[in-house]
Amino acid sequence: MTADQEKFIADVVEKALAGDMDAINSIEDRSVRAKAKASLVKAKRAAKAQQKSDAPAESDSPNQQETAETQSPLSILLNSTYPDEIIEVLDEGKTIQLHPKQWNEIATFLRDHPEALLDQMECLTGVDLGTEDALQVRYNLHSMKHRHKIEIRINTNRDKPEIPSVETIWRMTDWFEREAYDMYGIVFTNHRDLRRLLCPEDWEGWPLRKDYEEPETYHGIMVPKVKEGWE
Amino acid sequence: MKEIGSIRAEEMVLNIGPQHPSTHGVLRLKVKTDGEIVSEVIPIIGYLHRCFEKHAENITYEQVIPFTDRCDYIASMNNNFGFVVAMEELMDIKVPERVEYIRVIMAELNRIASHLLALGVYGLDIGAFTPFLHMFRDRERILDIFELTCGARLLYNYMWVGGVSHDLPRNFETICIDFLDYFEPNIPEFNQLLTTNKIFIERTADVGVMPAEVAISYGVSGPNLRGSGVKWDVRKDEPYSVYDKFDFEIPVGTGDHGTLGDCWDRYWVRMLEMQESCNIIRQALKAIPDNGDVHAMVPKKIRPPKGSIYRRTESPRGDLGYYIISDGSPTPFRLKMRSPALTSLSVLDEISAGWMISDVIAILGSLDIVLGEIDR
Amino acid sequence: MGLLEHKFQDNVVVASMDKLLGWARSTSPWFFQFGLACCAIEMMATAASRYDLMRIGMIPRSSPRQADVMIVAGTVTLKMALRVKKLYEQMAEPKYVISMGSCATSGGPYWQYGYHVLKGVDLVVPVDVYIPGCPPRPEALIEGLLKLQEKIQAERPLTKKIA
Repeated sequence: MTADQEKFIADVVEKALAGDMDAINSIEDRSVRAKAKASLVKAKRAAKAQQKSDAPAESDSPNQQETAETQSPLSILLNSTYPDEIIEVLDEGKTIQLHPKQWNEIATFLRDHPEALLDQMECLTGVDLGTEDALQVRYNLHSMKHRHKIEIRINTNRDKPEIPSVETIWRMTDWFEREAYDMYGIVFTNHRDLRRLLCPEDWEGWPLRKDYEEPETYHGIMVPKVKEGWE
Repeated sequence: MKEIGSIRAEEMVLNIGPQHPSTHGVLRLKVKTDGEIVSEVIPIIGYLHRCFEKHAENITYEQVIPFTDRCDYIASMNNNFGFVVAMEELMDIKVPERVEYIRVIMAELNRIASHLLALGVYGLDIGAFTPFLHMFRDRERILDIFELTCGARLLYNYMWVGGVSHDLPRNFETICIDFLDYFEPNIPEFNQLLTTNKIFIERTADVGVMPAEVAISYGVSGPNLRGSGVKWDVRKDEPYSVYDKFDFEIPVGTGDHGTLGDCWDRYWVRMLEMQESCNIIRQALKAIPDNGDVHAMVPKKIRPPKGSIYRRTESPRGDLGYYIISDGSPTPFRLKMRSPALTSLSVLDEISAGWMISDVIAILGSLDIVLGEIDR
Repeated sequence: MGLLEHKFQDNVVVASMDKLLGWARSTSPWFFQFGLACCAIEMMATAASRYDLMRIGMIPRSSPRQADVMIVAGTVTLKMALRVKKLYEQMAEPKYVISMGSCATSGGPYWQYGYHVLKGVDLVVPVDVYIPGCPPRPEALIEGLLKLQEKIQAERPLTKKIA
């Protein structure tokens, strides 16, 4: 890397730390842009470590959460448009916990708004949080144009789990929501065809829940392995 | 039901599978046809659901690695690679440089082997038996290299968190370069057999066109997405391991014979990727450091810190991602494998409406699915 | 064979006829390609150029009516088990089953927490030869097939069964 390039990257990283991401995003050369983004991440980490070492007692205060929010432009955008729906912002704005009620509108907003443009759903994971008596769905989103990511988490209760479906917005979620229904029993409302994907149609129970018990037989065939009598 | 003059025509439901001569695995397709023209294809999966995620919640992280092998059994090295890259990012481990180069060489060799199988079997589906035998002959040589290194032909358990299981044997570089010198002149031979074959072009060009927006919305990735013209490769756009040190091109479909995004483009992208993998392997063999203990950074007991991570890598079928949630214990709390073939299969209905039944087989072959990965 | 089976007393003529029938039946068994999972790839590799299966006389047939041997290669799940039984019943006599790989033999690595895995295909169809391995090498599959040929040759289809 030449001295000019280093200076250019340092300038651009300064601007980005102040909140202006356009300077980095508009670099034409892909390798220089990658290097600039890498130094930005390093600088942010150094700043965070500095903050932590300076004021260890303030780590739980709301001030920290506010500075955490300002570090990710996507979470600022979401906070300004739908402030009531956000329950919690974690991990420097990379993860957002939402209410399930307005998930459909937020999803359309995230996909179509020109600053977000999150058009690729990377992964949809169902989670059984165990002791907290809750089921959770985690969505990982990614933008092909801006190359930024975000993770959305939505909780629902165990007895009557319901989350609005987003399968018309990102078509990939069609089958992934069916799989979450198959494994956990989470009902995605307004899904066009919610039925089991992997287990047979007449299977009973939600297999990946922590309190699942295997059935003894299925159509007359033994399910668990019987160790006696296997000569 | 339609009335054409005095004849009544009805829609017919044809059942393909789960056992069928096409070799992708146990997939069942319910095809609704009007005569020979298909109106809807409904894939039914789950015939190979082996409860991988339930197993992962009850066994330790080291024991998960052989299970990941068996999910996508054609490209096992890449499955292992994805898992250890995600784990090392979660646990913040930096592996020695020799290990990184070994991993890249193995992953690229496995990419060539996987594409050889995919293309050979695609030719078999279309009806060409000779390319299948030729490609399997070359694939056997790659499996010989793997057997020399780690003892197994198909399912390796080779990449461990923090290192690899066996170091490269002494004469590895000569054997590998011999193989590459033998293999690269064969690619024009495959082109003569299949790629420029008039019958093959008639059967695959303009068939099953997948536009780029449809592909991105359905989550399609890898050669299927690149065949539609989108230049997206995780090795270049979200680099992991030492891929940013190599100089290689990303082949993209161009619509040479027929429309952009048809079966021929997807097939052509895979052919070109094999050539690029050969380049990467040659560069890696030159740059690999001579010394280094491959077991230096392997932890005695894997206990990741609390947290979660999603990391994707490039498998021969697309974006392979692992979502790992750890609660500080030696067994994972939740391990989800995001398989690229599942998204490729879900787009089958969208792109095969209006074609004939044998075209559906051609489109299915061009998507390159593996049922072990879809059903997990 | 139905009218002649197990009708004759054991004597010199019938013993040679048994050997002749055994030779005819065993030397070209056509197999029903029932590849389910990873073992299917090894089965395909065995049928390909290096470990040629056709030199033993075996060719893959996709229809159960035309096949003699069913090689169950790979994990059988409960959803698939009902179909395995149906396809086995559609095969014509005499028919044999080879269980290839440890998943088909006893559930394989998925025996412990697999709620959807059939712990061994012999719970639904009668198996003649078990081939262990995960996956078994092509040489192991060929050895299993040769053992099946020996088993077929040792059958005595014409002689009356004693008790």
